[in-house]
Amino acid sequence: MKSYIFRKILALPLILIGVSMLVFLAIRALPGDPARLMAGPEATQEAVDNMRSRLGLDRTLVVQYAEFASNAVQGDLGLSIKSKLPVVDEIAERMPYTLGLAVCAYLLAITIGVPAGMIGAIYRHGWQDQAVMLLAIVGASIANFWLALMAMNTFSVGLGWLPLLGASSWKSFILPSVTLAVLPTAVIARMTRSSMIEVLAQDYIRTARAKGLAPGSVYWSHALRNALIPIVTIVGLNFGSLIGGAVVTESVFNWPGIGRLLVDSVRYRDYPVIQGVTLVAVTGVVMMNFLAELVIAALNPKIRLD
Amino acid sequence: MKRIHKTLRRRLVLGCALAIGLSMPLTTHGIALAATLTVMQSEAPRSMDPGDQTATYTAAVLDPIYEGLVRRDPDLALRPALATEWSADASGLVWTFKLRQGVKFHDGTPFDADAVVKNFARHLDTKRGLAASGRLRTFLDNVTAIDPATVQFKLKTQYPAFVALLSTGPCLIVSPTADAAGTIGTKAVGTGPYKLAEYKSGEYVLQEKNAEWWGGAPKGEDKIKWTWTAENSVMSMALQTGDADIVNPLPPAFANQLKNNSDMTVHASDGSAVFWVSLNTKMKPLDDVKVRQALNYATDREGLVRAFMQGYATPSNSPLAPVTPGYDRSLAPYDYDIDKAKALLAEAGYPDGFTMTTIVQEQEARIGELLQAMWAKAGVKLEVRRMEGGVWSKAAFLDPAGKEKDGIGSSIASWSSGVSGADLQLRPLYYSKSASPTGANLGFFSDPKLDELIDKAASTLDEKTRNEVYGEAQKVVNEQAPHVLLFTKQDLYATRVNVNGAWMIPGGLVVVKDAKK
Repeated sequence: MKSYIFRKILALPLILIGVSMLVFLAIRALPGDPARLMAGPEATQEAVDNMRSRLGLDRTLVVQYAEFASNAVQGDLGLSIKSKLPVVDEIAERMPYTLGLAVCAYLLAITIGVPAGMIGAIYRHGWQDQAVMLLAIVGASIANFWLALMAMNTFSVGLGWLPLLGASSWKSFILPSVTLAVLPTAVIARMTRSSMIEVLAQDYIRTARAKGLAPGSVYWSHALRNALIPIVTIVGLNFGSLIGGAVVTESVFNWPGIGRLLVDSVRYRDYPVIQGVTLVAVTGVVMMNFLAELVIAALNPKIRLD
Repeated sequence: MKRIHKTLRRRLVLGCALAIGLSMPLTTHGIALAATLTVMQSEAPRSMDPGDQTATYTAAVLDPIYEGLVRRDPDLALRPALATEWSADASGLVWTFKLRQGVKFHDGTPFDADAVVKNFARHLDTKRGLAASGRLRTFLDNVTAIDPATVQFKLKTQYPAFVALLSTGPCLIVSPTADAAGTIGTKAVGTGPYKLAEYKSGEYVLQEKNAEWWGGAPKGEDKIKWTWTAENSVMSMALQTGDADIVNPLPPAFANQLKNNSDMTVHASDGSAVFWVSLNTKMKPLDDVKVRQALNYATDREGLVRAFMQGYATPSNSPLAPVTPGYDRSLAPYDYDIDKAKALLAEAGYPDGFTMTTIVQEQEARIGELLQAMWAKAGVKLEVRRMEGGVWSKAAFLDPAGKEKDGIGSSIASWSSGVSGADLQLRPLYYSKSASPTGANLGFFSDPKLDELIDKAASTLDEKTRNEVYGEAQKVVNEQAPHVLLFTKQDLYATRVNVNGAWMIPGGLVVVKDAKK
């Protein structure tokens, strides 16, 4: 187990280096000039060139990357072109909001998705199953963005129950997390259902029933535990797409998280911020995958090999 | 069995703890919202330094904080602000301004001639390269302090728009201390009725009353909070829930909806943003004036105004906006006449029409689609390329070779010179030296006669004569048709019905420093 963990941890820096180089090159290959975007359409070309030089963007790519990499290793992700504040500070200030949103969304997704999937599997082919499948398809297909606007219009403007924008109180969490949770709930529900169906067909379930165990005990303690492995895998892997979903959700709700920071920074080609947020997000995704693998290894001793 | 329960339980507990823990700081984070006027715009401010940016919406955010030697009042007249009186010598090249006494910047630095000199010196310094310096450098020679209360401006050439410009952008006076410290880009320090309380980058700008303002007690709300969203529907919703007291600009689609809402007031006024299609005069067949005129005849401007702006615009008959001094409302160059368009195209050698492209940003994409349908009737096949903001910006400012390579026949955009005068509308768009990438003459239009007229008008101090020259200039632009001129957008903004005292400078700059709710 120890060497397993050790090898996984070693992989992280290599992944980060690779990703950082990729992002660094990709955003600079994008058309669009941060200097022109900052100065505005009425600025003369001379002013734009001067701004570019002030921002250090007229140096060669190798020099720029070398500076970025050597600073990054020391924990300095540079200064935002737009706000002139350290990227690390910008991210640190917003990280809790995105994490809070992601955690709430995930909790919702798990507490609704897992039981829903179980019901679908237990009452397979029944109306309950059809209902769960239908809801799962709708949830997976619905545009995050449209749902957010609909929810805002209904619950904030129409009913006035919830705040419209921002993160000023616990009530502000509700609409954004529900919006963000819809897709993961659908995915988790379907995954739970298929996994449960497979498990419920196993011999040991028949044995448990034959033994006279209460249905609740059979489903929760025996079936679910074995069905969990693919579910945990999905939950871990989905974290990346949750960050992606957070980008849209945060933009619509003016949620002060790193998703919105990323959108704004791409709009203005704020290279240091784009690089910083991507690195942080990648680290998060890698960590979540790693955590998921640990949980799986803990659940199933057979998997504790390489 | 026990192990799975423990893991799940542990995770649940951890998750709940995280959620609760994270929400704690939020409840104490709330800003006191009493007596705060919230203004929501469509984009974030680009800088806290009015001299280092050129976007109108940023200028609106900075307006309560900074002042110039003169200011514009709600009746659009220019009045004394940081200067109390001024005069020019006989040549019109030397201007003397007497400065207001007892004024201090928000950081305590005294306002005097030295501060004014430093402000303009930073724009005249070519090494500094501030974004808004361009305009000033074309006509300003130097600024000197005669005594601590008097400054003198020496112009290179007569410039009728000089005093008007002093109320805008690069001429707003910033604290020389903050500028020297290099912090002015993120920490606004001016002399105005409001000072910067907090700038949370990416979130909001909060301003509070300046108790020591030279003008007495500021007339507006205690605090002004500036926010923004890129979503049109969110703007409308925010106004309805009260999350915003003022939204600017209001998308036309929502204007009709909110007009009937008794909780809101929709304000529409003559704007100055002229929308056009810039034709690449170096690319066949757009190098032929007949082809360009044909496109003008093939455009149903009234239809465009109805379809795209819901009627909140004025069809163009001139490169100038109706609010611009010198605008000639008698001009009527192009009716909507498909037959005339076809005839002209045939004359030019394209009886069956031709194919061309246009590049457009998301906000104007629909204009491209509407033109596509209109011009098809005359046989012109318009290929519309929608581009993201940054991508469009790069493509639009390419030089002739670049545009040839990418096949960019035209670009759809708009330009506004506010109320600063016709020179700032005509020179950047039609003057030969303004050809991109240097300036915004995206189609590389070059007409020596027009250049001459523009220069002549720019140095004519007598208003009547000047406007006559601009009349000539408008005729040349109409006739040579480097643009298909579309319409002048009205400035649309909305407030909650209890908000009074907000007003609009043509061009989209909403002034809220005197607004109360």
